Amino acid sequence: MKIRSDILRTYQSVHTWTGITAGLLLFIGFFAGALTMFGSAIDDWATPPDYQLQQVATGQHDVLLRQVFAAYPDTVGNVTVSFDEHSSPVYWYDSGSAGGFSLDDQMMHATLDAQGKLVSELRHVNELSMLIDYLHRSAGIIGEIGHDQAGVYVLGIAAFLYFIALVSGLIFLLPSLLKSFFALRKEKGANRFWLDSHNLVGIASLPFHIIIAVTVVVFSFHDLFYAGLSQVYGDKPLFGGDEHHKEVRYEVSALPNLNDIRKRVEDYAPGYEVISINLRGLNSEHPSASVAVLSEASFMRGPHSDFLFMNPFTLEVDTSSVINGNGQQGVWGSVVKTFFGLHFGSYGGEIGRWLYFIMGLGGAFLFYSGNLIWLEKRRKKQQVTQSKSSNFMASLTVGVCLGSAIGIAGTFAASKWLTLTALNINIAYMWVYYSLFFAATIGAFALGAARFSLVGLHSFSLLCLIVPLTSLCGLLLPNMGIWVPSSTADLGVEAGALCFAIAGLVAAKRVKHRVYHGEVNSIWYCQKLTSSKASSAHLA
Amino acid sequence: MNESKIQSHWWSKTLAGIFAGFFLSIGVVGIFAWLGPDGLTQHISEEQRLWKTQFNMWIITPIWLIVLSFVYLFRTGKQAWTWLGGFACLTIAIVAGLRGML
Repeated sequence: MKIRSDILRTYQSVHTWTGITAGLLLFIGFFAGALTMFGSAIDDWATPPDYQLQQVATGQHDVLLRQVFAAYPDTVGNVTVSFDEHSSPVYWYDSGSAGGFSLDDQMMHATLDAQGKLVSELRHVNELSMLIDYLHRSAGIIGEIGHDQAGVYVLGIAAFLYFIALVSGLIFLLPSLLKSFFALRKEKGANRFWLDSHNLVGIASLPFHIIIAVTVVVFSFHDLFYAGLSQVYGDKPLFGGDEHHKEVRYEVSALPNLNDIRKRVEDYAPGYEVISINLRGLNSEHPSASVAVLSEASFMRGPHSDFLFMNPFTLEVDTSSVINGNGQQGVWGSVVKTFFGLHFGSYGGEIGRWLYFIMGLGGAFLFYSGNLIWLEKRRKKQQVTQSKSSNFMASLTVGVCLGSAIGIAGTFAASKWLTLTALNINIAYMWVYYSLFFAATIGAFALGAARFSLVGLHSFSLLCLIVPLTSLCGLLLPNMGIWVPSSTADLGVEAGALCFAIAGLVAAKRVKHRVYHGEVNSIWYCQKLTSSKASSAHLA
Repeated sequence: MNESKIQSHWWSKTLAGIFAGFFLSIGVVGIFAWLGPDGLTQHISEEQRLWKTQFNMWIITPIWLIVLSFVYLFRTGKQAWTWLGGFACLTIAIVAGLRGML
């Protein structure tokens, strides 16, 4: 394909500048985002087996719920009934809420004991996955604007740059695309190999990246867009409308059996399994039930489920993200749902999650390799000393990328040990992550990119290795209070940590090779290490 | 200098893509919201409106991003502003007209 040379040159500059400004933020977003695909496995792994209370037998949920209403009258405002066998049957927020991001959320869990008596326990919400999700959505940027973290808006802006980088990258790659798409030229040197892999990953996962860029912009700036739309709509309402709803306040005792609610849901969404029912405002004029339903074989709207909103007293369904002709979502609903589902990767069950995990890591690789290509290209040939800005960017790239990975690995390594202390674990996670992240970034500037990457990769591998070693401790010293993996999901997390440890060691070996034997103008070349080795060789 | 070659004009083109591009996409979506299927003049149920409005909100972004990505193809920044700004004003004016009349 032939494209005018001035267009190519323009878009090459566009690609460089958008890439270099957004790359590091996106790296953190993608690395953490890949891990969020296994968020529930991570939480399962990070909480002791007795964290969730015993699930009750089918049919007992109603008995339990009435007892909860009697013992804790406030729960008529907001309570969740879960049918998931790994979850407590009834729970509610004692402080905090599901929506916001706060570090000291406490959740009450309730179940029935063998005699049918109410048992309730207050638990801190230990959500390692919440930390990962927070990093995914904000890149760890501290501060809040309005009802969201400042980082969400920063990543929203990064997503603009990211989309432009995708389009510009595609444009200036088009002429040589057919020729060199599958070419991974190793013989032409490391830089060529990096460039080829960057292009291959970028093109192969282009649709995924376009979806992610578009959805992130919407997630960050929907308030702005709705404000714009409301100007367009004039007097017409954005939501709601002319239908008249009878406002009726019901007695909580008039609440239908949960089985009736489940039956109504199953009629509406056949083939879906009801996971949980969140009941709200039961004593108000607007009682609502939001029901989470699951069908691994279907394309789902949320990260883990579809939803259905209904009035729990009249069993009228307001709307649902299950679109099968029983509602009036129409083509609009399908499109909107598709956007969400394509971001969350909540289709295709376990395979879909793995695919998204790999593409997420691929995305992180794309931004990291992009920065490296830029750095190597700007370096002066055959020369050891490089410009200050080049060294700065090299240290920043290695420091931020490795730093975020080390920080996350550190929280995993520390997680089970932290539960042995009286600390608020979510705050402790933050301290562990940020101390490691900033230590790594400072370390990268102090030691230089090449030397730090050796230290950093080894620390990363070590922290990852602590995960299975911790469980081994728990196995060998059962009195210590550290639990051992008890499910496939738990073992998956341990195996994942082991794989990351091995990957880190392999990368460290490669870097070492380039430190000692690479080109002197590469960022991986490290003068001091090389000369000291040379002199020691000389002495021997 | 070759007249037909693209000039960089990074700032003015980028700003045209951001500002004129934003209003252009709002305008285009606005016309669609009023005149397109299940439009604002039609009687639709609350549930239909819930999803239609979300749809309208969602499609602003792809339009804006595409405008922003291809704004660098304009030969000069002035041209970018003229065309994008012109169409933005036009579409917004149409939306204002529809709002007033319908």
